[in-house]
Amino acid sequence: MTSASEGVAASAAAPSDPMAWKLHGRNSAPSVRLQRITKRYGQVVACDDVDLELHPGRIHGVLGENGAGKSTLMKILIGLIQPDEGTIDVHGSPVRITDPITASDLGIAMVHQHYSLVEQLTVWENVVLGEPTKLNRADACARVAALSERYGLGVDPLASVTRLTAGQRQRVEIIKCLRREPRIIVFDEPTSVLTPAESEQLFSVLRRVVVDEGRTVALVSHKLDEILHATDEVTIMRRGRVVDRLSTSKATASGLAQLMVGRPVSLRSEAAALGSIETITANVLSSALDDAADTADAADTAAALTTTVPSRPVVLDVRNITVIAKDGHRLLDDLSITVHAGEIVGLAGVEGNGQRTLGDLLASLVHADSGTVIVDGSEVDIHRPGALSAAGVGIIPEDRHDSGCVLDLSVAENLVLADLAKVAKRGVLNRKALEVRAVELMRAFDIQARSPHASMRSLSGGNQQRVVLARELSANPKVLIAAQPTRGLDVGAIEYMSERLRQAATDGVGVLLISTELEEVLTLADRVCVIHAGKIVGEMSRSAIDLERLGLLLGGMAA
Amino acid sequence: MSAVSVDAAAGARKPSAVGNASGRNARMARTGWMVGAYAGCIAVSLSLCALLVSTTGGSAAKVFSALLDGSLRSPGAWGLTITTATPLLVVAMGTIVAAKAGITNIGQEGQLLLGAAATAYVATRVDLPGPLLLTLSLLAACVVGGLWAALAAVMRFTRQVPEVISTLLLVYIASQITTFGLTKKWLLLARVNKTRTNNGEPLPASGHLPVIHVFGNTITWGVVIALAITAIVGFTLSRTTIGFRLRMLGLNARTARRAGVSVVAFGGAALVISGITAGLAGGLWLTGGIAGDRFTGAISSNIGWQGLLVALLARERARLAIVMAFVFAALRTGSGFLAATGVDRRIADVVQAMLVLSLLVPPALEALRDHRRGTGVAA
Repeated sequence: MTSASEGVAASAAAPSDPMAWKLHGRNSAPSVRLQRITKRYGQVVACDDVDLELHPGRIHGVLGENGAGKSTLMKILIGLIQPDEGTIDVHGSPVRITDPITASDLGIAMVHQHYSLVEQLTVWENVVLGEPTKLNRADACARVAALSERYGLGVDPLASVTRLTAGQRQRVEIIKCLRREPRIIVFDEPTSVLTPAESEQLFSVLRRVVVDEGRTVALVSHKLDEILHATDEVTIMRRGRVVDRLSTSKATASGLAQLMVGRPVSLRSEAAALGSIETITANVLSSALDDAADTADAADTAAALTTTVPSRPVVLDVRNITVIAKDGHRLLDDLSITVHAGEIVGLAGVEGNGQRTLGDLLASLVHADSGTVIVDGSEVDIHRPGALSAAGVGIIPEDRHDSGCVLDLSVAENLVLADLAKVAKRGVLNRKALEVRAVELMRAFDIQARSPHASMRSLSGGNQQRVVLARELSANPKVLIAAQPTRGLDVGAIEYMSERLRQAATDGVGVLLISTELEEVLTLADRVCVIHAGKIVGEMSRSAIDLERLGLLLGGMAA
Repeated sequence: MSAVSVDAAAGARKPSAVGNASGRNARMARTGWMVGAYAGCIAVSLSLCALLVSTTGGSAAKVFSALLDGSLRSPGAWGLTITTATPLLVVAMGTIVAAKAGITNIGQEGQLLLGAAATAYVATRVDLPGPLLLTLSLLAACVVGGLWAALAAVMRFTRQVPEVISTLLLVYIASQITTFGLTKKWLLLARVNKTRTNNGEPLPASGHLPVIHVFGNTITWGVVIALAITAIVGFTLSRTTIGFRLRMLGLNARTARRAGVSVVAFGGAALVISGITAGLAGGLWLTGGIAGDRFTGAISSNIGWQGLLVALLARERARLAIVMAFVFAALRTGSGFLAATGVDRRIADVVQAMLVLSLLVPPALEALRDHRRGTGVAA
C-alpha cells in the first residue's frame, strides 16, 4: 500500500514547468496540440483554459473524475462540440474541427464509451455501415478478418452483434475505428465494461497500434491502475482545469488519486474504486491476500457481522433457478443462493457467467424455466411484473439506462417509479408531494441536479446512480441487489456507494453485491460466492478467504 | 431507513440547487423559438405555394383567399371547420394514448371506417327513441373500433406480430368488410335503393348529433365530446398514476416492468383505447352530417390518417392537438373552395400537402437543435 505522502512527493517532483514537459515530450513534434481550450455550458465551465499535447507513438492518459471535463475535451477534438475559445493544431497546422467528418478527414477517430452498434446486424455489416461505396460482403469480411488478425482481436466478421460480449463489442468498435487508418485515436473509458482479461488484451492491442505503427492515442479514464499500466504520460484534470501533467513512470497511484480528487484519499477504502486491470495472477492474488488480511484485522464491524450473520433470518432465498436461452444455452443452471438480513454477500465471477441474468431475474425481467425465489419467508411469483419489487427486493441494476431509470422522465419522477402510492391519492398524482419527496431525497443522497424537474438524462452518471440508489433505499427494501454498482463511477462516487451499501447492511438489509471487480467484492462482502457458467461453484466467508481457491473458482476450475 | 445522512466526503460538492426560475426562462425561450419556427416555416411554405400557383397560371392571391373563405370567412365556414376537426381530434387522442405507451397504431382509418359502419347499422336497423338510439349507435362504434384494434393487440402480445404492420393491414380488411356489407341488405345496404349504387340507408333524424347554432355557424355536439375526451386524456396522462405508468412503459419498458407495469395489460389497453377513439370518431363523423346523411364505403376519406398526423404534429401533446386538428380541418374545408378559383385540383392538393409539411419541419428543427447542443452536461 502506497502512502498518500509518497504520492504528494511524486506529484511535486512532476514536471509542471513547461521546459521539463518539453524535455520528456521527446523531440517528436506533437501530432495534436490543443491550446487554451474553454467550453462553457451556461454557468458551468466544462473546460477551462485547457492545454493538451499528444505525441505520435505514445499513449497519453487523460485522468479525471466524472465531470472533470475529459470527455468534453475529447468531444471537442473529435468535432462533436465546438469550443468557445482556444485553438487546435493537428500535425503542426491550425485547424477548425466543425464536425466528426472533418475530424475523420484529419485522421482523428474515437472509440466511444457507449458503443454505437446495430445489434441486429452482423459484425461486418456494422463495420461497413456508413460507407458510401457499394457493399461487397466478401471483401468487407476479408477486411474485417485482416484487421482482426493484424491486431489479434479475434472477431468473427459473420457473428451477430447481439451475441457478442461487451469486450467483443468493443473490439468491433475498434475495428470500425482502425479501418479508416486514423493517425490519432481517442479511447473514452475503454475498460468500463471489460473484464480484467479483456482489459489486458485491449492494452496489448493499444501497444501494437501505438508503438509499432506510430499512431497517437489518447486514453480517457478515471481508473488509476489503467492509467499507470497503459499510458506513457498523463494529464490530470479536475473541475475543467488541468491540474498537472507528468510522465507515467514518475507517477504513483496515491499521487494520481490525490491530484484527481483534490484531496488525500485512502486507497485502502477505495481499493474497489481504483479498479484492477490485472488478470488474476498469483502475484496479484498474494498481494490481495495481504490486503484482505489487513482489512479483516482493521474492519471490526465486518468481523462482528461475520459471526452474527448465521443467526439472522434469511431474507432472500433463490432456489434451484434455471434459465435457458432460446438457443438452449443455460444462462442460469440450477442456481441457489441465500442472503441473510444484515450481511453483504459478494457474488464474484468473470463477466458473462450469468450475473446479468440473475440481476434480471430478481427484477422480474426474465422467464425462469424452473426454480423459486423466496423473499423474507414467502414465495414470490417471479413472472409477475413488479412482484419482486413489491416483495421488498430493491435493485441497483447493472445497466441503469436499461432497467434502472427512465431517462426522459424527471428526477422527481424517477425517484418514485414503483412507489406511486407515496405521492398519489386515489390514482391522482400529487405534484407537490412528488416534488417535496424529491427535494428530500436529493438532499439526503446529495444528488446534484438543476431542479427536481430536470430530466434524468441531464444528470451525470454518478448522479443518475444516486437517484437509483435513493429510490431503492427509500422503499425500505428487505434485500438490495447491487449489480456492478460502481461501474463507470469516479472515485468519490464509488466511495459513497460503498459507504451506502455498508450502511444498508448495518440497518438490517440483506445486500447481494454482484460484481466482476474482485477487489470490490473482497472489500465489501461478508461472504463471497463465486458464479461460473450460471452456477454457484463455491462459497467462503470473509474470515476464511482462500485467494488461490477463489482464483481457481473464478476460472471455472473445481476447487 | 430512508434518508439517512448526507455523506461527509461528498459535502465538498456544491449543495443541490433546487430552484426552477432559470428552468422557466428556458421554457419560455423555447416556446418563443418554436412559435417563430412555425411562423417561419408556414411563411416559406406559403411563398412556395404562391410561386407554384402563379407559375401554373393561377392567381396566388385568389387561392389563399379561397382557402380562407372555405375554412373561416364565408358564412358558416368556421362552424363547418370545427365540426370537421371533431373526429380528427378524437382520433388523435387515442393515437396519443397508444404512442405514450410505446404502441404505434397506424390503423385508425380502418377502425374509423368500421366504427362508422357500426353506427350506421345501429342507427338504421334498431328501433329506439331518439337520444337512446344515438347513444347506442356511438357506443357500437366504440366497441367495433376497439375490437378491431384488439385483434392487433392479441397478435402483438401472443405472437409478437408488430402492431405497426397488423394495424395497417387491418385497414384493408376493414375496407373489404364494409364493401361486402354494402352489398347485403341485411347488413348495410339501403333496403330501398333507387340509385343502384351501393350506399347505406339514410340515417333517421334521431340518429344525427344535435347541433348548436352560433353566429350563423352550425356546430355539432360532437365537439363537446371531443373536447371532453381531450381533457380526460390530457389529465390522465399527466396527472394520474395510470398515465404515469403508461408513459413509463413507453419510455422504458424494462424499467416499467420492474416497477410492476404489465406490458400486456397497459400496452394492450392503450392499443384498444386508440381503436375505441378511432371507432368513435367514425361514429361522430357519420352522425355529424358533413359527410352526407348515409354510410358509404368512402366515408372515412382520410380522417383516420389525418388524425394520426394531427397526433404526430402535436408531438403527443393533448392541448396542441386541438390546434393541429383545427388547422387540418381548415385545410380540408378550405380546399373545398379551391375548385372555384380555376386552379387545378392537383395543384390544390400540392398546396395542402406543402402546408402540412411546413408543420412537420419545426419539431424536426427542434430535435436537431437539441442534438447539436448536446445534453448540456460536462462529462
